[in-house]
Amino acid sequence: MFIQIEPTSDIPIYTQLANQVIELIARGQLQGGDTLPSVRALASDLSVNMHTVNKSYHELEHKGIIRIVPKSGAVINPIVQDGITSDNRRRIIEQIKPILAESLVLGMDPEEIQKLVSSILTHLKEE
Amino acid sequence: MSLAIFLVTLAFMIVLQSAMPFLLKRTLVFGVTIPEKFAMDPSLASYRRRFSSIIFMTGIIAFIAFLVWSTTTHATEEQLVWIGLAIQSGLLLLSMALYLYFHAKTTELKQTNKWGTSLKQIRVADLQSHAKDAMLPSSMYVLPILVTIGLVIYTVTQYSLLPDMIPTHWGANGQPDAFSPKTPFSSIALLIILLVMQVMMLGINIATKQSGIKLNSSKKKSSQIQQLAFRKYTSWFLLMTTILLTILFGFLQLTTIHVGFQNVSLMMGLPLGFLLIILISSAVYAFKVGQGGSRIAVSVAEEENIGVTHEDNDAHWKLGVFYVNKQDPTIFVEKRFGVGWSINFGNPIGYLIIFVPLLLILLVAFFV
Repeated sequence: MFIQIEPTSDIPIYTQLANQVIELIARGQLQGGDTLPSVRALASDLSVNMHTVNKSYHELEHKGIIRIVPKSGAVINPIVQDGITSDNRRRIIEQIKPILAESLVLGMDPEEIQKLVSSILTHLKEE
Repeated sequence: MSLAIFLVTLAFMIVLQSAMPFLLKRTLVFGVTIPEKFAMDPSLASYRRRFSSIIFMTGIIAFIAFLVWSTTTHATEEQLVWIGLAIQSGLLLLSMALYLYFHAKTTELKQTNKWGTSLKQIRVADLQSHAKDAMLPSSMYVLPILVTIGLVIYTVTQYSLLPDMIPTHWGANGQPDAFSPKTPFSSIALLIILLVMQVMMLGINIATKQSGIKLNSSKKKSSQIQQLAFRKYTSWFLLMTTILLTILFGFLQLTTIHVGFQNVSLMMGLPLGFLLIILISSAVYAFKVGQGGSRIAVSVAEEENIGVTHEDNDAHWKLGVFYVNKQDPTIFVEKRFGVGWSINFGNPIGYLIIFVPLLLILLVAFFV
């Protein structure tokens, strides 16, 4: 179960890390109850500061994707089955909206955007 | 006897030093990261060959000169030791100077050819790496420590049997040649040194386990298998060294307590056997495992990752040999030029594990 980061990217490393973990969960490679490596182990493997990994884990915890359990570490929460909460929905809309607006401004037409979204979704589901 | 020891270690050094460029990963040339597809560049191949042949030729000439000189003239033991040491350090210095020269040449070649500048650099890690790690448990390193503590207790109970002068140094023939007056401290000084070394080995094992499993992002699966094998074999090698040290030091301590144990051939053979086992096993280790397990054959299909390459990390490797990265919590890192581990000079814990025990050993040796 590999994750990869790009140190020179504009996206901060802790966000890249959180995104990679979320993607692994969406693909079903990480499942509810699985644990993530300790902060020290992952930071050493990726040669990054422990604060970076810690920040990433706390962001995931804040979003409700993992829970941090004393002694067992970071444990993945099962994928939510009974629908998204209104708070989370609001946050997602807030994040998607500027990206969609930017796509329109940069010349994508709505149909193309819809196609792109469904192709990404099939890609995530296929493994 | 000294002559044989010097010749064997010298031969060993010549072989290992001259073979060095070929024991390393293809993508690490004289401490510089080279992208996979340029690794077999003809200029790099000629650098590797030149390094090896210069070391090998000089080494052989020095070896023969040393042999001829020592057999034709009636050199004293002391002269033999000094000349032998001078030749060995000279060979090491030559190898360092050549390394620096070719490190500079390779860096220059990488810059002028702009190798890898068009590729996006990425780092990868496996979330399950540490669960697959097969290094020996640290409890194995505690067992020899218990043996030493047992020997300390035994020495205390046999204190009256000890001679008035305690041996503190042994010559090449295995016989003691320096002594200190008997005191409670000098009677167990040897065991204290052993204990410090055993604790250091334990510390190294713990710190290595915590160190990062760094994967090559262009060959993530095979590099993981090689890394894990490298970690496993290094921990075996380290434990073997610890056990040999315990046997050797324990035996010397027992011969001090019970004069009857003093068997001339055993006292001569044990340190020599010890030296031979260490030399042979490190050669086998270097040739079989190689840098980061690079000589372990792996056949797994790798998915091609086009347009990306492994992060070169050259900026963190000062002169290509000293890893300094304050961000990285890793204590030990794989060597870039050589087979084995080096310390992250950006992390003070590494200094503690290595230099404090050495200082303690020097102190004990000085005050005995």
